Amino acid sequence: MRILCLLVAITAGLSLLYGVQYYAGGPLRLAVTSEVYDLALSPDGSLVAAGARDGKIHLWDITHDWMVHTLTGHTGPVSGVAFASSASTLFSAGYDGSIRLWDVSAALDASPTGSQAKRVIIASDRPLNDLALAANGSNLATIGEDGIVRVWDTKTGQVIQSIGPNESTKLAVALSPDGTLVAAGDGENIQIWDARTGEPFQRLEGYWEDEETKKDWMGHKKEVTALAFSPDGTYLASGSAEGTTLIWDVEKGKVAWKTRGHLATVSEVVFDASGKYLLSGGGDNMVRRWRVTGGKFAGIFKGHLGPVTSVAFGSDANTILSSGNDGSVRLWEAVNNQQLHLVWTKLGLMPIWGTVFAAWMLGSGLLGLLLTWGLWRVRTWGYLGALVLYIIGPLVTTVLPLLETTVYPITWGTRLSIGWPLVVSLIGYIVLVAYLRQDEVAITYQAPDATSLAEQLMAARRAQDVRHSLFIAATWVSIFILLFSALRRFGLDVAFMRKWLPFIMGGAGITMYVSAMAILLATVLALVGALGRLSKNPLANGISGFYVSLIRGTPLLVQIFIWFLALPQLGITLEAKTAGILALGVNYGAYMTEIFRAGIQAIGIGQYEAAQALGMSASQTFRRIVMPQAFRIVIPPIGNEFIAMMKDSALVSIITVQELTFRAQKIGRQNFRNLETFLIAAAFYWILTIVFQFFQGKLETYMARGERR
Amino acid sequence: MVEPMIKVRGLHKYFGPLHVIKGVDLDVMPSEVVVIIGPSGAGKSTFLRCLNFLEEPSAGTVEIDGVEIKAREPSREHRRHIQEIRQKAGMVFQQFNLFPHMTALGNIIEAPITVKKMPKEEAIAKAEELLEWVGLSDKRDEYPSRLSGGQQQRVAIARALAMEPKIMLFDEPTSALDPELIGEVVEVMERLAGEGMTMVVVTHEIHFARDVADRVILMDEGVWAETGPPDEFFTNPKEERTKQFLAHIL
Repeated sequence: MRILCLLVAITAGLSLLYGVQYYAGGPLRLAVTSEVYDLALSPDGSLVAAGARDGKIHLWDITHDWMVHTLTGHTGPVSGVAFASSASTLFSAGYDGSIRLWDVSAALDASPTGSQAKRVIIASDRPLNDLALAANGSNLATIGEDGIVRVWDTKTGQVIQSIGPNESTKLAVALSPDGTLVAAGDGENIQIWDARTGEPFQRLEGYWEDEETKKDWMGHKKEVTALAFSPDGTYLASGSAEGTTLIWDVEKGKVAWKTRGHLATVSEVVFDASGKYLLSGGGDNMVRRWRVTGGKFAGIFKGHLGPVTSVAFGSDANTILSSGNDGSVRLWEAVNNQQLHLVWTKLGLMPIWGTVFAAWMLGSGLLGLLLTWGLWRVRTWGYLGALVLYIIGPLVTTVLPLLETTVYPITWGTRLSIGWPLVVSLIGYIVLVAYLRQDEVAITYQAPDATSLAEQLMAARRAQDVRHSLFIAATWVSIFILLFSALRRFGLDVAFMRKWLPFIMGGAGITMYVSAMAILLATVLALVGALGRLSKNPLANGISGFYVSLIRGTPLLVQIFIWFLALPQLGITLEAKTAGILALGVNYGAYMTEIFRAGIQAIGIGQYEAAQALGMSASQTFRRIVMPQAFRIVIPPIGNEFIAMMKDSALVSIITVQELTFRAQKIGRQNFRNLETFLIAAAFYWILTIVFQFFQGKLETYMARGERR
Repeated sequence: MVEPMIKVRGLHKYFGPLHVIKGVDLDVMPSEVVVIIGPSGAGKSTFLRCLNFLEEPSAGTVEIDGVEIKAREPSREHRRHIQEIRQKAGMVFQQFNLFPHMTALGNIIEAPITVKKMPKEEAIAKAEELLEWVGLSDKRDEYPSRLSGGQQQRVAIARALAMEPKIMLFDEPTSALDPELIGEVVEVMERLAGEGMTMVVVTHEIHFARDVADRVILMDEGVWAETGPPDEFFTNPKEERTKQFLAHIL
């Protein structure tokens, strides 16, 4: 006991230390990778530059097996990178408010880490959010938290024009290819200026396509987060926080084409060299490709584990580059949407896990101290705390980072540095379980008092029962958390689920309606069928025997098709829902016939004789004496049939009944998000059966009232 | 001249090729208590069940309280007569056969309400009276599974009496009971006899036969082996078969 307390105390102490350290910003920053904020490909296509959250610029040499170099200098995250047309010069902008100019060829010749910038321009004391370089390399534009759009001469490094400040101009900036126009987001609108004079040139605002009916809003509804000019400068593409991408005609100031695909913020848009295609990266972890003319969808690239932050076309038309918050840069094949190459930035732990993890560690530390005290003082406290701390905790905290390590290339050293508190927790858990498994509660038999001994024994028994159910409950909860977290980790899109939940759940009503009606029909059929099977009348017996044999001998799916697809050939056309109800009801009726029959036959002859001796007629005997007893016998198997029916009602989705499964399938296919939609459907069926089982249990207890002892 | 309450003439019963009852006659006068004893397989229970047509006799006639039925004449009339006879003859079974899904009270009021169409309040009032009479007022709302064998059999008697029968048929009412529970059932039967009920009892309770019966019949191999008043029957049996049987059980 003392050893156990000591162990728990050690665990708690370590956890607490760990949690405090995180909040104090200690050495173990939890990020496996450093998020990449911007990506650029050199004009000759040989180098990929990525600006990262840790202030480094990673340079990969594509032609030399993705050899990596880092450029250090920025004191905050790097928000923008761009190659000058010479390919040996790289511009970068960061949250430290500086613009830096790097000599890439010198950097490549030097040691692979830590090349210094050639030139540093302090642009602002506030972070710079985006950087744009004109295609001809003449000038450069930045936009920052201070709301000022600055246009720079790349040769002299002087500010040509400073526009603003404007509170709602912060996130995106673009320069026309010839460097004459500069565009920046202004809330949900876009403002274009002449880059040299600073005079307003054009304002792109949303409008109704049809003013009268207020249909087709042409514009953004949330702030603009990405901008890009087409190579010939006639179009401007814009992406916004609500997920739409628009292609504007710059001269006319109107929307030329509208696209919709991303489910979250569009973080970057970019035209290819020919101006025929557009790429967009989004907060929904996807990269999408569009045909500019018409704004038609032309491809989707899935693989990022976090929001996509930047996209770029490769040196030839067949490849695409993307970077994301997951710290990866990916190279894709444009034609078949396959990932060709993947590189990661620096190792660490993901910041998102960091928060959860640290919160847990802090929490479990506090809880653990409480637990130590509790174990010492009152046992119950100890059990309760131990369960929370040592089942759910380690499962979440050990398994998840381990999963993480299968996704990211990670060394054992890092693994150990991440995992040590978890290992300690796990050991504690094992010790605790071993302790809890000692079931016998010591009873000190002091006085020769029988009642007191009985009370002690009963109390011990109760405590054991409570412990047992607590264990089971904790196991369930931890499985849930584990499953959910694991799915989440592999890209489960909760926002998407929330978005489509109402629509899919709209099918739940139809599912319940179909099930309920089919159950009703099946019950009636089963009752009649059972009477027929038990009847001495050869006609009734034959008919019900035929019915049961036919229906049980053919697949339900085939029956559904016959009701819906084959009957019209005989001139009977049924509505899909009706056909579904009939198919399910008739099918389950046959199975339930046998159950009813067995239930009726289970009633002893003595019951019939007693009723007859009292002068009751056959029908009175059946209704008053046999049925109520048979009903009680058949409730458990009938309940099972009902549950099976609820689940089998999913089958009618194939005949276009718009129930739960149908809707889940539809939305899943449309958005390539089958996991999310079917999880919703599965969850609903599950909840429904649990609820039903609960009521079935209640009914069973009620019907068995004569059996209570 | 008082007419017999039960009049049986030339009753035969076959189970397939098996000849169980081989042509017996019986007259039971009102308020008479007849006890039938005999070895197992003698046909006692079958005879009793033939009286209210739980078994259809193969030949012969049964007349109860003026309602006469000939065997093997299936017709609407025949069936109606069977219903009539069943209402006149209450039956108590060896295995009690209470309805397990109903309370003691529910068991008693069931038939009066469904068969006699008696108003529910009236049926309940009568059932409560009967429960008190059999000494089970406190078990009114208990389900059979919570009653002892003796209590269940007493409820079964009350259930039969609720139909206000003219005669009562007892089919080994104490055979399924633990020895210490037999007394309470026998006591109820004695009181019933004392109140002048016409009873036919198949039993192994020799004490009941000796103390309560007006007439004792030994049945063997489908026929009456000996009939007589209990004093004579038990102390001075005429037939050799009776002596053998009594030697066995006493």
